[in-house]
Amino acid sequence: MKSRKLALAVLVTAVVALVGATVGSASRTHSSSAYKVAFIYVGPHNDGGWSQAHEDGRLYVQKMLGSKVQTTYKENIAVGAQFSQTVASLVAQGYKLIFATSYGYVNKAFAAKYPQVLFEQATGTDVSKNLAEYFGAAEDTVFLSGMAAGAASKTGNIGYVVAYPIPEVIRHANAFALGAQLTHPGATVHLVWTHSWFDPSAEKKAAQSLHAAGADVLGQNVDSPAAGQFAESVGVPWVGYDSNAAKFAPKSWLTASVYNWGPYYLKRVKAAMAGTWKSGFYYGSINDGFTKLAPYGPGVSAAAKANIATYEKKIEAGTFNEFTGPLYDQSGKLRVAKGVKMQVLKGGTNSLYGMNWLVKGVVGSPKG
Amino acid sequence: MRVTFERRLKQPRWLSLAVPVVSVVFALVVAALVLVVTGHNPFTTYRELVDAAFLQTGSLGQTLISATPLAFTGLAAAAAFRMKLFNIGAEGQMYMGAIFGAAAGLYLGGRGGPSAFVIASMVVAGCVGGMVWALIPGILRAFFKTNEILTSLLLNYVAGYVLTYLIFESESYWRQTKGFNATTFPTGKPLPHNAIWPGWSVHVQGGLVVPLGAGFAVLAAVILWLLYSRTRFGFEARVLGDSDRAARYAGVRVRRKILAVMALSGAIAGLGGASQVGDFAHSLDGDPNGLQKQGFGYSGIVVAALGRYNPFAVVLVAFLIGGLQNAGNTLQGATFPAGLVGVIQGIILFSALGGELLIRHRVRIGRRVRKDASTAPEPAA
Repeated sequence: MKSRKLALAVLVTAVVALVGATVGSASRTHSSSAYKVAFIYVGPHNDGGWSQAHEDGRLYVQKMLGSKVQTTYKENIAVGAQFSQTVASLVAQGYKLIFATSYGYVNKAFAAKYPQVLFEQATGTDVSKNLAEYFGAAEDTVFLSGMAAGAASKTGNIGYVVAYPIPEVIRHANAFALGAQLTHPGATVHLVWTHSWFDPSAEKKAAQSLHAAGADVLGQNVDSPAAGQFAESVGVPWVGYDSNAAKFAPKSWLTASVYNWGPYYLKRVKAAMAGTWKSGFYYGSINDGFTKLAPYGPGVSAAAKANIATYEKKIEAGTFNEFTGPLYDQSGKLRVAKGVKMQVLKGGTNSLYGMNWLVKGVVGSPKG
Repeated sequence: MRVTFERRLKQPRWLSLAVPVVSVVFALVVAALVLVVTGHNPFTTYRELVDAAFLQTGSLGQTLISATPLAFTGLAAAAAFRMKLFNIGAEGQMYMGAIFGAAAGLYLGGRGGPSAFVIASMVVAGCVGGMVWALIPGILRAFFKTNEILTSLLLNYVAGYVLTYLIFESESYWRQTKGFNATTFPTGKPLPHNAIWPGWSVHVQGGLVVPLGAGFAVLAAVILWLLYSRTRFGFEARVLGDSDRAARYAGVRVRRKILAVMALSGAIAGLGGASQVGDFAHSLDGDPNGLQKQGFGYSGIVVAALGRYNPFAVVLVAFLIGGLQNAGNTLQGATFPAGLVGVIQGIILFSALGGELLIRHRVRIGRRVRKDASTAPEPAA
């Protein structure tokens, strides 16, 4: 009996203390005049891929601007209900600029609900007064990473793990195949769709099945390093995507197309702070450092490095582009005439943002 | 020392209120320890949690965004669990309700009917969608004695793939195919304006909009309560839940009852899906990072258990858990890991559910188990 009374007393005291302290701490300290910027991630901030690349960008902004800005992130935020809740709470906390780092988060109507807040969305196209869109021409660097894959392949059978059959992913698969075919004429790129952006177990299974079907190099357009870890375990070269994931597969690592979001974020945050922020559609490239190749792994030969460097320079100078015709689709039909360069937004299914067909030599369906 | 759990003969009324309160307080104390250890001030954290969930401007509206679907899935689970039919499939039934509801909204709304008619059709379609999906495990259980836990659970994945397929991997009726945005990224076709569910504006927190779905959820709770406590159907379902054999001897048609309860449970979850379309998304949300990432169907099971399958309690718990979910988005950030938010939410839910044990059982701590009149022997299972 005694112990029960004691337990009760402890509990009651705890309740009183909690309630008292909670009510008492009503005057919360609001932090100083630092400009508040938030980043919303669709995956974990340390996913080793897409979201982590954005997190690196956030840390860069915080480092460069120091106490003048206060940045935070929200991770694993679902599109729709949860995004709406998250934005509402960020706005209530005084965040002025919100980077939504995945498609489908913000549209014009949503942005219009918060006219005093500036929104930026990665990979999208919906632009309004307070909603800007940004992305980088990863197809160029994916193409270069495909060159590394082609050079590393002995059989010309290359596996590529892909997320969803949407233009962004199809564009990258095509660029990868074109690069591989440049260094390994006649190479075929075999696709396995995981139907998820981030699903380590599905990615590993996809890599396993590609390897079992004879692929001697693996690449990917998904967010986790699981395919790379599998590649390392069977001693097959691997090309990553989004982030430098060399540490997950030190021997298999070739390279990856990576995004460097930091400088763009810094520029936009500075503009927002100065009141000169303007909406728009920004498409970064190798030239402004938005996209680049991650450091090479041990499997990239000196000859391949030199070859890739040549093409990188040509792309920078604008004398070469992988999506300049002639381009043939899987059935061998000419899709883009000789000398015609695909546009980013204009041209329907023959634009970078509208591409729904796979180039010759890619094995798999563009419908998933 | 010996600790034993004994089933209570009587469950005092005050216990059913005191236990949850004490459980939550206990959880807050334990979570406070975790917070202190990880270098956070528990008091400001709790204050922020309550603020973000219920108090600060606009927070109630955001809480209702989570609470509304949780109320539906909670009621769906409660309706089935009461009869000891473990329908784990509210998640998938909700997707199916969303698919059917969106189809009705897009088609009938596009033909320009009056809004009330279009919305009513969406409600019916949503219920039918969920019902159809729930009847699959229902029929398997009723006629083939298949374990409905497994079948209903696995059908969730099927429904998720169907949902994603309709928007991401096909040019279905539900998918937006016109306009430039449609070529760059798959999205659902937006509902015509006469298919969008209206909300009630309430003058709280500078204008709170209560979604129509929240009203439907309360209505569903009332109906469910009447059905289970005031009708023969409910009585038979409860008897069946308590003792299969007794129900059989009393002439309850077991198969029919199983089908009816599964259909009812699925219909409520399906209505929640229609509400997702009509109230919130205004299109079919097939994004794998959208509705499917939220897991409302699974959280609904917790909501139902915490509400002890009482429809009104379920709605109340849905509101509280909705607040907890909403507040979780506020708490997490660069200095407060999302995992820690999950730990705190987990401690609270675990304690609240664990406390339930104490309502039905009493704990005896002592060297010997005394045998006195107030102790009931454990009834044979």
